[in-house]
Amino acid sequence: MTDNLQDLLVAAAARWPDAVAVKTPEEKVTYGELDRRADLFAGALSAAGVRRGDRVVLWRPKSADVIAVMQAALRIGAAYVPVDPLAPPDRVRRIVDDAGARVLCAPRAVAAGEPAFHGVACVDLDSRSVGAPTPPAPVRSASGDLAYLLYTSGSRGVPKGVCISHGNALAFIRWFAGELRADRQDVFANHAPFSFDLSVLDIYVAMAAGATVAIVPPDAAYTPKRLVDFLHQENITVWYSVPSVLMLMQGDGELASGPAPKALRAVLFAGEPFPIAYVRELAGWTTARLLNLYGPTETNVCTYRQVRAADLEREVPVPIGEACCGNRVWARRPDGTVARPGEEGELVVDGPTVFQGYWGRAKQEGPYATGDRVRVCDDGSFDYLGRGDDVVKIRGNRIDLGDVATALHSHPGVADVAVVAVGDGLERRLVAFVVRRPETAFGQISLRRHLAGRVPPYLIPQDLRFVPELPRTARGKIATGTLRARAAEKEGTHGYAP
Amino acid sequence: MDTPREPDQVATRLLSFIRTSFLAGDPEGELGVDTPLLEFGILNSLNTAEMIAFIHEEFGVSLAFDEVTATTFKTVASLSSLVSARTTVDSTRR
Repeated sequence: MTDNLQDLLVAAAARWPDAVAVKTPEEKVTYGELDRRADLFAGALSAAGVRRGDRVVLWRPKSADVIAVMQAALRIGAAYVPVDPLAPPDRVRRIVDDAGARVLCAPRAVAAGEPAFHGVACVDLDSRSVGAPTPPAPVRSASGDLAYLLYTSGSRGVPKGVCISHGNALAFIRWFAGELRADRQDVFANHAPFSFDLSVLDIYVAMAAGATVAIVPPDAAYTPKRLVDFLHQENITVWYSVPSVLMLMQGDGELASGPAPKALRAVLFAGEPFPIAYVRELAGWTTARLLNLYGPTETNVCTYRQVRAADLEREVPVPIGEACCGNRVWARRPDGTVARPGEEGELVVDGPTVFQGYWGRAKQEGPYATGDRVRVCDDGSFDYLGRGDDVVKIRGNRIDLGDVATALHSHPGVADVAVVAVGDGLERRLVAFVVRRPETAFGQISLRRHLAGRVPPYLIPQDLRFVPELPRTARGKIATGTLRARAAEKEGTHGYAP
Repeated sequence: MDTPREPDQVATRLLSFIRTSFLAGDPEGELGVDTPLLEFGILNSLNTAEMIAFIHEEFGVSLAFDEVTATTFKTVASLSSLVSARTTVDSTRR
């Protein structure tokens, strides 16, 4: 039994060298070839000075090469840090600095001209151009060693790296590979960016089983019809995405108007509540298993639920279910006691998928409190209720509305501000209502420029509206409900498809 | 499918699309070819996909994996030079 992530590829390459590991529009890469590239890149990283215990930041579009670089970093005992390829250079630089990364792996043409990367060691790892340095002797990582860092929305622009060990990741991968009985015939669709933890399932459960991961092309990622075509043409057996992407496929993509692909055997969703009407439609369309997975990045996946008939008769989303991956989960009431069926509390997780702590901060000891409110169902499973604070989730990013308001208030021309989150799924967005001081005439680009100096892009409201005043209740509080209704009217400031 | 386009012509179309689609018309007239699109939160993963679709419909240019990066989508200027180069290449090929 392996106790690290790199052995998954070594084992797959030995057992199934000719099986297709990764499929993109450009190429099909076998396990044997992926293994060869991982060695190639391990040699190149080593030559660039990367040693055991170092971090390597990956900032480039998805490809088989990027997966090979992840494995290369692990082979020399380093950890990788995947960053959204669309993250602005300044934010990437902040992550490089926070992680104390030894090198940044980015396309040379992209990195070379960026002042933000001054003083950062950059390597361009591309299997078409890298020579053949001698691969270093492989390092045997232990279960508790750091495998990768996933950066989440730290407040006020400070990035927070979630430390995931080999053991954390393997506990999840093994549980799901077993639950699914994943095998070589499977084709996993990869929709999520590598910087999101959903991609861990796609890449590594496939690797553990000798299956294929088919990467969704970026121009298809939010194009409903193309996503539906992808599902059919690639003979996907396991689909995993946030519900909003499935909603897009079911809506404009008219997924359910045609027959379900015969190959499809599991549809998984996670990251936000999936409106039950859509789940009902899926259940009527396909015989594939429908699985709701739950867990903040800090716990990977800690509970799950296979959708059953009784779930479809309710008017609320499918429960987040019961503990998995060897974890123990419970709902903690405000007085610290454990909630019983019918009662509510904050979901707490303890077990093998709980992270090691945030990079550079205190180690996570003991159970992790998620900040998510749940109700205990009669069968002991959990219903997700929402957050206990002002935190909202927009396309996977956790956002504290208070942080957004604080950043807006720091602009000298801003007199008053209210920030709300509205819409479901992909249409969910931040709307800020801003009152300008008299005799100021700045527009939203000026305001955005100000915000960009303080917070990451996903904390900048997609929809900024200037208003003469904010509606208030009789007692003088900002009428958030009124604003939410107004925000939902979509005054044409954003371009989302209907 | 299309004739070659000068970067300036492409930029004009892109600016107009971004103003009406994402900036409520930009009444203050602040958006320029050098305004950082990703850094200022004007483009995100979702409306970047809309931009890609618009570029395809408007100019007949399909962007590949490697071309959807923070560098190409940095500003209207960077995006226009890529699209302009691609219209030239694509029409020469024909």
